Amino acid sequence: MGRAVGIIGTGQTKHGRRDDVSYPDLVREAVNAAFEDAGITPEDIDGVVFGSMPSMMEGMAYNHFYFADAMRAVGKPILRAETCGSTGQSIAHTGVHWVSSGMADIVLVVGSEKQHEGDAQATMMTILEPFLQLSAGGAPVAFSMQSREWMGYYHIAEEKAREAAAIISVDCHNAGANNPLAHIRKRFTKEEVMNAPIITYPVRLLDVCPSSDGACAVIFASEEKAKKICETPAWVKGMGFRGEEYFIGDSSKAVWQSAIEASREAYKQAGITNPRKELDVAEIYNPFSYQELMFLECLGLCPLGKAADYVIDGVFSPGGELSCDPSGGVLCTNPIGATGLIRLAEAAMQVTGKAGSRQIEGAKLALSHAMGGAEQFNGVTIVGSEL
Amino acid sequence: MAEEKERPRTIEAVGTAPFEMALGPTWTRFFEGIKEEKIFGTRCKKCGRVLVPARPFCPRCFEPMEEWVEVAQEGTIVTWSYIDYTYFGLEDDMIPVVPATIKLDGTDTSWWGVIGGFDIKDFDLVAKKVKVGGRVKAVWRKEKRGCVQDIEYWKVIE
Amino acid sequence: MKKVGIVEVTQSPGAESSLSLMEFTYKTVKELLDKVGMRRDEVDTYVMASSDVLHSGMSCANSFDIDATGGFLKPFSRTEGDAITAFVYGCMRIMSGNYDTALIVGLIKGSENADNDTITSCFADPFYSRPTGINETTAAAMQMRLYLQRYGITEEQCAKVVVKNLGNALFNPYTHIKKRVSVEDVLGSERICDPLKAMECAPKSDGVCAMLLASEEKAKELTDKPVWFKGWGASMDTFYLGDRDLLDTPLKSAAASAYKMAGISNPRKAIDMAEICEPYAFQELLWCEQLGLCGQGEGGKLIDSGATQMNGSLPVNPSGGVLAMNPYVSRGLYRVAEAALQIKGKAGEHQIDKKVNTALAHATYGFCGQWQGVVILGS
Repeated sequence: MGRAVGIIGTGQTKHGRRDDVSYPDLVREAVNAAFEDAGITPEDIDGVVFGSMPSMMEGMAYNHFYFADAMRAVGKPILRAETCGSTGQSIAHTGVHWVSSGMADIVLVVGSEKQHEGDAQATMMTILEPFLQLSAGGAPVAFSMQSREWMGYYHIAEEKAREAAAIISVDCHNAGANNPLAHIRKRFTKEEVMNAPIITYPVRLLDVCPSSDGACAVIFASEEKAKKICETPAWVKGMGFRGEEYFIGDSSKAVWQSAIEASREAYKQAGITNPRKELDVAEIYNPFSYQELMFLECLGLCPLGKAADYVIDGVFSPGGELSCDPSGGVLCTNPIGATGLIRLAEAAMQVTGKAGSRQIEGAKLALSHAMGGAEQFNGVTIVGSEL
Repeated sequence: MAEEKERPRTIEAVGTAPFEMALGPTWTRFFEGIKEEKIFGTRCKKCGRVLVPARPFCPRCFEPMEEWVEVAQEGTIVTWSYIDYTYFGLEDDMIPVVPATIKLDGTDTSWWGVIGGFDIKDFDLVAKKVKVGGRVKAVWRKEKRGCVQDIEYWKVIE
Repeated sequence: MKKVGIVEVTQSPGAESSLSLMEFTYKTVKELLDKVGMRRDEVDTYVMASSDVLHSGMSCANSFDIDATGGFLKPFSRTEGDAITAFVYGCMRIMSGNYDTALIVGLIKGSENADNDTITSCFADPFYSRPTGINETTAAAMQMRLYLQRYGITEEQCAKVVVKNLGNALFNPYTHIKKRVSVEDVLGSERICDPLKAMECAPKSDGVCAMLLASEEKAKELTDKPVWFKGWGASMDTFYLGDRDLLDTPLKSAAASAYKMAGISNPRKAIDMAEICEPYAFQELLWCEQLGLCGQGEGGKLIDSGATQMNGSLPVNPSGGVLAMNPYVSRGLYRVAEAALQIKGKAGEHQIDKKVNTALAHATYGFCGQWQGVVILGS
């Protein structure tokens, strides 16, 4: 890695159905919160990175034009990065590289989505071209089929997978109820989750994330600036990002190579050899509870094919060996373009002791992650309290 | 008494834009095959994999895929789901749908298709008949348009 | 800061293509890899640029594009918006020390998309601006009116830009429009949005541009003549047109940053040639002013003087520019590629006569140039 980079401030909106504000005002809410957290002003910013899902999802093309003022980006260089659901991680990586390259000292990174202003499924169905892969897809279908592939590949009994998924859902909803910014703040019992109506077999209603409006902003600074401005920066320790082929059938989605290799690169940079033991928190991108099971395996947090056993044993539950998604995760909050960045913001808050009611005591090293595309892309960023 | 503050309003809008996508030589030839009830893949000269639908190049080896291979119309289910809700583009009378990815015999990838040919409204029956690792074969429409929908559905082989 | 070199560039043929977007992209990327003699998996990182709203009706463009750009299981990212940002991000990735080589691709098949104006009308917010019928062309027409009136620029002077650029394009195999035109032809073409004439507006083109970047050591290993990344600057204007002076754009501050990084104090002297993004003819003149290549209000005089001709003292758009070839998303990367070819001396028939040591590449998109970016390259 080049120059060391630290996170000196984060900001999030209240997530949920936010038709009380216009889209630029939503973005402004997160940006202002980040400035306040960092204790700096827009004049201190050298560059801005923005990302969201395809901007037509909200009926605007290139909406970074629209948000120029809300992001305080007027007169500044701005880059836009986008990789579908993994956008939040990709824009963070853009910001880190920008500072690390030496071409900027302080960079503001902003991700947002206002899902209630458009038809997210309609947009996401157009990820697939209309002639070779039947577009009777949409995200829930694709990810349900992935879950089924995983169960089939490892011969995991349906009841066992269903129970493990339900535990993840219950844990996340409990955590979401504890997070004042989360969209869904309602607790459920394991029985309620396991018996919720089927959406796309085997996935049930309470295994699925909501559609949220929300934004997140994170401010990155060079080592020198970070030390000057911030008492407790969260240092970027490692990053990884990988993508697989466009045609879904070309790669196994049960042994998910892009997640395996992205996390491997990040661990290598961070000098982590035993992630489950060394990490204190993992903010995993889990729009579907079943998917988290696959991530636990492919991010190297448990052996392949064993996630259901580990989850049922409570290894990733509160008080377990590794706390996963103490924010409530994507299952409780999913403004897609912001979601991957929220994972990083939450990880940074944890290692700097700023996570309030959801603080994991003594957290020093945290992983954040996001996934996107037609089950294609995975991005990972690891932050720590020590340089 | 203070006046109740008016809630900020929303407005509705619909946007559309036309597109015209080129199939190019590879996919044009693939659909010519479909019209004749043939499924073609292409083989990579480097890694030897056969990919369906046919591709212009191998995404891993990055070499042109010039060898055309007619592949089997039977294969194995890699995974499946059951769509029982509507969203943009799906009307009430179009659900349920049983999508599956199918690894055709002799190929190295799986292809997205729809399973049918029996009463798929009965979920328990679907769960009984459709299995990961189960076998299916293509059932063709009589009238061909040279598109994927020319395969009407994939039939479960008992 | 670490040095980054451009090793090699490739461009797709300028004509509209009947290939699928996937084949079309693959050909140009494959040509690049073959030229530098590298395998796909030997490149350290990939940064591609495409735009969901200009992507043949498919959203999450990187999902479709990853195969043809070569990024399978490689460190990968995608910029959305002008591809010059992918170039800059690729430089950042190398300068950070994480990677030694980066493959950059900008791609679009304009022929598969709706009219650019249909798409650009969606830049406008749906409440205040869009109902007025605004798009990039109508906004440009208003900017042109102001430009003509405030500085006494003539319509003939604007038309001369078209004559020059389309004339240059005749010597560039990678352009879309191949046509020799006269000032009279341009002035006589349809007034589609007064004072803008049809021939003063860029076409809608298919274009893939690919480029291999490398760290200093690696670049020297891979090519005899690397072209060095010397500086860049970018800037964003405020959103609502009414809040801006349309003739005082953020290009000034973008250029100032780029010159500072490149150590240039007198751009008119230091810069040997420029590739400028001029989707509307008059903008080449206005942008030259804002880039400090001539005085304010002197864009008309600049074209009259002949300085910006292929054989002039400061050739501008020897490639034919965007008026001859407008692959909307990738056009900024084309500017960088053409500037690099001029420095390498490999521009072929449109190679300018004098030696090029320092070249400028410019990109812009958005109403009246809301976003502006400048890259400086050096030998």
